[in-house]
Amino acid sequence: MNNRVRDLREAKGWSQGELGERLDVSRQTVNAIETGRYDPSLPLAFRIARLFRKPIEAIFDPGNE
Amino acid sequence: MTRQTARQYRMRIWLLMSVYVALIFFVWPYAKTASSLPLRALFALLPTVPVIAVIAVMMRHVMHSDELEQRIHMIALGIAAAIVCGGSLVGGFLAAAHVVPIRGDILLWVFPLVCVSYGVSRWWLARRYGGAGCE
Repeated sequence: MNNRVRDLREAKGWSQGELGERLDVSRQTVNAIETGRYDPSLPLAFRIARLFRKPIEAIFDPGNE
Repeated sequence: MTRQTARQYRMRIWLLMSVYVALIFFVWPYAKTASSLPLRALFALLPTVPVIAVIAVMMRHVMHSDELEQRIHMIALGIAAAIVCGGSLVGGFLAAAHVVPIRGDILLWVFPLVCVSYGVSRWWLARRYGGAGCE
């Protein structure tokens, strides 16, 4: 699954650690989501969407799956 | 989990394992020489107290981890359980068939083997996820 988390985070000027604190997850988890190694659960995806004030489908794209 | 809490977790594990090592060296030998049976049982079982405390601390750590870290912990524990169960089954059948003599005190190695298998599995999984779950 593709996502725009890195772009949105960088647009806010936050580090991975700062984003992790806001989402209550570790920096490594933020990194794994940004690099596409881990797809977040639905509750975490909603927390990300709420944090960036965007609809979930504007951040996560399932691609051709 | 915050860095401070991760540091506290590591400190607790080290403290408890230090107590365990001290008990093994200074208390457990009396389990073979103590005069009464209850006293021997007490000395023999005393080292299990810090180990049970370690398990409780580890469980608390997993419960307070985020979802990816929990996934890594759970898969690593599954791999560790599979390795230890598989090894125990092979050893048990070989011992039952008198192919190899296995003494009962080999059970002491079950927990360390679980810990090592879990640690290696967790390290490997964390690398797969780009370093997640290493704290």
